[in-house]
Amino acid sequence: MSLRVSRRNFVAGGATLLSLSALGTSALAQEKRLRLLWWGSQPRADRTNKVSQLYQTKNAGTSITGEFLGWGDYWPRLATQVAGRNAPDVIQMDYRYIVQYARRGALAPLESYMPAKLNLDDFDKAQIEGGSVDGHLYGVSLGANSAATVLNTTAFKEAGVDLPTQATTWDEFARMGAEITKAGKRKGMFGLADGSGGEPLFENWLRQRGKALYTADGKIGFGVDDASEWYDMWAKFREAGACVPADIQALDKNDIETNTVSLGKSAAGFAHSNQFVAYQAMNKDKLALTNYMRIKADSKGGHYRKPSMFFSVSAQSKAIDLAVDYINFFVKNPEAVLLLDVERGIPESAAMREVVAAKLDENGKVALAYVSGLGDLAGKLPPPPPAGAGEGELMLRNIAEQVGFGQLSPADGGKQLVTEITQILARG
Amino acid sequence: MSNAMRTPAGAINVERYQGAVAEGRFRRLWNANAPGYLFLLPWLIGFFGLTLGPALISLYLSFTDFDMLQSPRWVGMANYVRIATADPKFSAAMHVTLTYVVFSVPFKLTFALLVAMALNRGLRGLTFYRAIFYLPSLLGGSVAIAVLWRQLFASDGLVNAALSQVGIEGPSWISHPNYSIYTLVALSVWQFGSPMIIFLAGLRQIPQDMYEAASLDGASKFRQFYKITLPLLTPVIFFNAVVQTIDAFKAFTPAFIISGGTGGPINSTLFYTLYLYQEAFGNFRMGYASALAWILVLIIAVFTAFSFLTSRYWVHYDD
Repeated sequence: MSLRVSRRNFVAGGATLLSLSALGTSALAQEKRLRLLWWGSQPRADRTNKVSQLYQTKNAGTSITGEFLGWGDYWPRLATQVAGRNAPDVIQMDYRYIVQYARRGALAPLESYMPAKLNLDDFDKAQIEGGSVDGHLYGVSLGANSAATVLNTTAFKEAGVDLPTQATTWDEFARMGAEITKAGKRKGMFGLADGSGGEPLFENWLRQRGKALYTADGKIGFGVDDASEWYDMWAKFREAGACVPADIQALDKNDIETNTVSLGKSAAGFAHSNQFVAYQAMNKDKLALTNYMRIKADSKGGHYRKPSMFFSVSAQSKAIDLAVDYINFFVKNPEAVLLLDVERGIPESAAMREVVAAKLDENGKVALAYVSGLGDLAGKLPPPPPAGAGEGELMLRNIAEQVGFGQLSPADGGKQLVTEITQILARG
Repeated sequence: MSNAMRTPAGAINVERYQGAVAEGRFRRLWNANAPGYLFLLPWLIGFFGLTLGPALISLYLSFTDFDMLQSPRWVGMANYVRIATADPKFSAAMHVTLTYVVFSVPFKLTFALLVAMALNRGLRGLTFYRAIFYLPSLLGGSVAIAVLWRQLFASDGLVNAALSQVGIEGPSWISHPNYSIYTLVALSVWQFGSPMIIFLAGLRQIPQDMYEAASLDGASKFRQFYKITLPLLTPVIFFNAVVQTIDAFKAFTPAFIISGGTGGPINSTLFYTLYLYQEAFGNFRMGYASALAWILVLIIAVFTAFSFLTSRYWVHYDD
């Protein structure tokens, strides 16, 4: 008898809960509300929130809430929200993940809004391509950037070493690094960061050799020789004292705060151009940007202009129209663009680029000058990486560490990298 | 009433009557138990909604291929087969986790017991010290502590600064694959607060006259500890050991923060739960991660069962 009671009670309780939660969702689903989610640090959040406020003052009755996380925490959160049917309306998306999310139906195709509501007419065509998957537009590029070397010019000067130029080769750069280390002007500072586990570096180096990380059909784009030589090059740098030892490099969590340049452990490190503003903010010394080094003085550069990040719209969103309007505002409204500066990369719209260029401060100019001055160092945008590329990136770093700590020879490291990545791609 | 019972309509009436009786009983029961159920409700919701429900779903998912964006696809035992035969990272994670359990639990318990005994001596300001020593446990899982740990054990951290005073040049403990796991063990030992409080309670239960009698008989302090304190404390030690072991198996936050979620350098801090997390949220393999989770449940169950089975040989209950 008591069982019947508790069951009935339970059902009644459940019904109450259900109706409560239904109330909650219907209140949230009003079409004038937008939720944004992006990764980044506080300065980016401040800029983004200012744009949201501006949008709200110009569009009475809309309410926009934004949330941000660090890169590492961002993807789990997003995946969970999408799986839980609770995705934010506007999602900051990366080139690495756009194919995965688009093919799995998590993103809304946006081409039908063009050009009336989403006007990308003066966008760089290649960058629109970058946001397209299988012929549909799933992401609006928020800016262009390129991989770059960050230099602590003060540390170079103290050590009496000239800054590298666009013609500097890796071997020359390593000699510079060794000189800085040897000069020992600052306690615990080495010449270069150890870039052997850095995917953008490895990709750049491969492209200079005419290879790629991944082919257009999602296969591995390099061989054992390439990978072994790569690890071997850095092993020699490490031995010569040109770059930081492995236990220092392992402190780098692949973000601005823990990069060896920010930690004062190296005079040169590896980053992306749109991060320059944040790097400079974190460092008392004067920093500069330059390209990744060349393999040989006459080798073509491996750089490319990459959509630094996209705004995508969730396929689950109940306010797609509003989301599209917000994104259009984000990339095409001069006031908004001025607030955003080049923190997310150089604007893709030619008109907005001019607006920003006129008002850039010194640090912004460095990033702009760098990306527009790449010249023959910049090539075609590679195809978006296949599923499993995230695992591949971790694997490159893991093996780099094994070589760095002397647990694996560079030759074996190369062999292992190719085997592992081939397996990862097969698993999908 | 008896008249009504003869007619078919009356039969219905009887049922109604019986129903009314049941209704009455129901009401009485309800009246008596309603506050109880009401107070249980938060727990019931929590248990069914947040524990049992998700657990059963994860059991189902462990037999599927689920990327969190598309619907799960049934794959039978494939996930479990891969764990058993073709996943080197599984064994790496297992190795790291077992190392952590084996080192952190005994050290932590020993340390907690020592501090509890020191605090049990009727110290002045005891509550103050209790609070102070408990503090690390409260902060334990927090990001701030993990960040603090990086500051302590980095190559230019406090630990190496202290070592350099005696002429030793230490490595970057936290980012060297040979040492990184032990910095996490140290972090766990430092968070000895909760077993310490329980030990303290246990020590208070031991009758003082036993010690008085023992010292009258000339037993040394060490002998008193060995012959009185330890045996009478075994139920508490047992409890703490089981709880701490389970906790250690489930450790996640410190490794996640300190390695930036990579489990590096070279998988040296790849805790089991961290690997599980990477598979689920980094690589979109929720089905596989669910299978990993159930393997962990199994392992913890085996460990706990083993502790209970052996406990009869060393745990003494006062009767």
